[in-house]
Amino acid sequence: MDKQTEQLNGKIALVTGGTKGIGKAIANKLSSAGATVIVTARKPSEEKSEHHFIAADLTNSDDIVKLTRQLSNEFGTPDILINNVGGTSSPAGGFQMLSDEDWNKDIELNLLASIRLDKAIIPQMLEKKSGAVIHISSLNGKIPLYQSNFSYGVMKSALNAYSKTLANEVAKNGIRVNTVSPGMVRTTAMETFLKGFAESIGKTVEEAAQQIMDGLGGVPLNRLAEPEEIANMVAFLVSDDAGYITGANMLVDGGTYPAV
Amino acid sequence: MEKLENELTGKIALVTGGTKGIGKAIADRLLEAGANVIVIARNHPGDENLKHHFISADLTISSETDKLVKEISEKFGTIDILVNNMGGSNSPSGGFAVLSDEDWERDLQLNLQSSVRIDRAILPQMVAKKSGVIVHISSITGALPVYESLGAYAVAKGALNNYSKSLSKEFTPQGIRVAAVSPGMVRTDTMDNYLQSLSDTMGITVEQATQNLMSSLGGVPMGRMALPEEIAELVGFLVSPRASYITGVNYIIDGGANPSV
Repeated sequence: MDKQTEQLNGKIALVTGGTKGIGKAIANKLSSAGATVIVTARKPSEEKSEHHFIAADLTNSDDIVKLTRQLSNEFGTPDILINNVGGTSSPAGGFQMLSDEDWNKDIELNLLASIRLDKAIIPQMLEKKSGAVIHISSLNGKIPLYQSNFSYGVMKSALNAYSKTLANEVAKNGIRVNTVSPGMVRTTAMETFLKGFAESIGKTVEEAAQQIMDGLGGVPLNRLAEPEEIANMVAFLVSDDAGYITGANMLVDGGTYPAV
Repeated sequence: MEKLENELTGKIALVTGGTKGIGKAIADRLLEAGANVIVIARNHPGDENLKHHFISADLTISSETDKLVKEISEKFGTIDILVNNMGGSNSPSGGFAVLSDEDWERDLQLNLQSSVRIDRAILPQMVAKKSGVIVHISSITGALPVYESLGAYAVAKGALNNYSKSLSKEFTPQGIRVAAVSPGMVRTDTMDNYLQSLSDTMGITVEQATQNLMSSLGGVPMGRMALPEEIAELVGFLVSPRASYITGVNYIIDGGANPSV
C-alpha cells in the first residue's frame, strides 16, 4: 500500500463555517490532502484564502437552495460534506435565563442547519453511492453544562442522535456518516472569550483557561486542543483509511470525558 | 501535511499477538509508517521474510512478562508504542451455565490481565521519557454483550475498556496517551475458519453464515465485516502525532453495528 499525502486527490469537499476556527483548520487540512475545498460562511474571510468561497446563512433555507445550485453548477457533487457550522450566543446563568428565542437560535444553528444541508446534498451522494458526511458536535453533547452553553449542549446531543440515525439509514448505500466531538479548542473565538473572562475575574488568560478546564472536571492532557488536532481526525475519517467507520462519535478531548 | 509513510520513523513499537489477524495487520501498518516493530506471540508465524522482530512468549504466564520486557529493552531500547492486541476466547457457547471457572480465568488472563502486566512492565520506561502511546484492542462485545457465545470474553473486554480509561486518567498527565479500539466483526483467518465450520455444520453457504453472524449482533448497517487492514489504519492514526489530543477514548470501528448513540 502506498501511503501518500494526497489521499483526497480528486475529491470535492464542502466545509460549512469554514473561514475561521476549527472549520478553517479542516478546510486547510483537506486541501493539503488534495481535495478541492469549498467553504461557506455568512461573510468571506478578510484574510486571503486558497479555498473557494460561497456566502450562505445556513439558518436560511433560501440560502441552502442557492448554495446547492451553485455547487452543482460550478463544482459537481461533493464527495465530502463537513457540517461544522455551530455555536451559541445564548446568555450564561442557567435554565431561567434562556428565552424561546435563545432556544430557537441554538436549534437552528446547531441542528437544523446541518439537517437542511444534508437533505440537499445526500440525495446527490446516494446517486453516486458514495460519500462521507461529518457532523462537528461538541463534548458538551455528552457533558452537559448548565451554567453556560445549556441549550448549545442539548442541541449537540440532538445532533449526535441525528448523526447516528442518518448513518444507520445510508450505510447500505455507501455513505459514511460520523460525528466528531471536540473538547476545548484554542480557536480565535476561544482566545477572545478567555481574554474577556480573564479580565472579568482579574486573572491571567492561562489561569482563566485552567479555571474552565477545572470546571469541566479537569482535562488529563492539561491543555486546550489546537484546531489542527480536530482537523486531523476529520481528515482521517473522510479518507478511505476509515472505510469501516460509520455511525461513530469520535471524542477528541484530551481525556476530558470522565466515563467509560 | 507530513508524509504519512515517515510519520513513525525512529519509533519502537511492540504489538502483542502480532503474527496473525488484526495484530499482523497492525504490525505491518506500523512498519509501513517507519516504525521498528517487535511482535510477540506464542508461536513463530513461520514466515522467513518476516520484517518484524519476533519474540516468542506466552503472556498469560505472569512470570514471562518481566523477563520479556527486560529482554526487549536491552535489545531495542525504550518502547514508544505499545499495542495490546492479544485476546480471544476458547470458551464454549451456550450461555452462562456452561462457562466453568477455568473458562472465566482463561478469558480474563488472555483479554485483561496479560495487558495489565505488560503495561505495568513497560509504563515506567514511558514515564521516564514522559512520552508514549498505549492502545488496547478491545471488542464491540465489550459494549454490546452477546450471551449466547463469548459471554466471558465480552465481560473481559468490558473490564479492559474500564481499565484503559482508568489508565489514561492516571498517565495522560505524564505525557502518555492511552486509547482503546473496539472493532466489530473482522474478517480474519480465524473468522474465516469459524464461518467455514458454521457453514459445514449448518449446511448453509459461507455467505449465509456471515449474514447470520452479523444478524446476531442486531445487524451491521454497512452490510459487511471489516478487513484487518481497516482496524490497522485506525490504530496507525491513533499512535501517530496526528492524534496528539486523543487520549482516554474508546473508538468503535464496527460498520455502524453498535446501536446506541
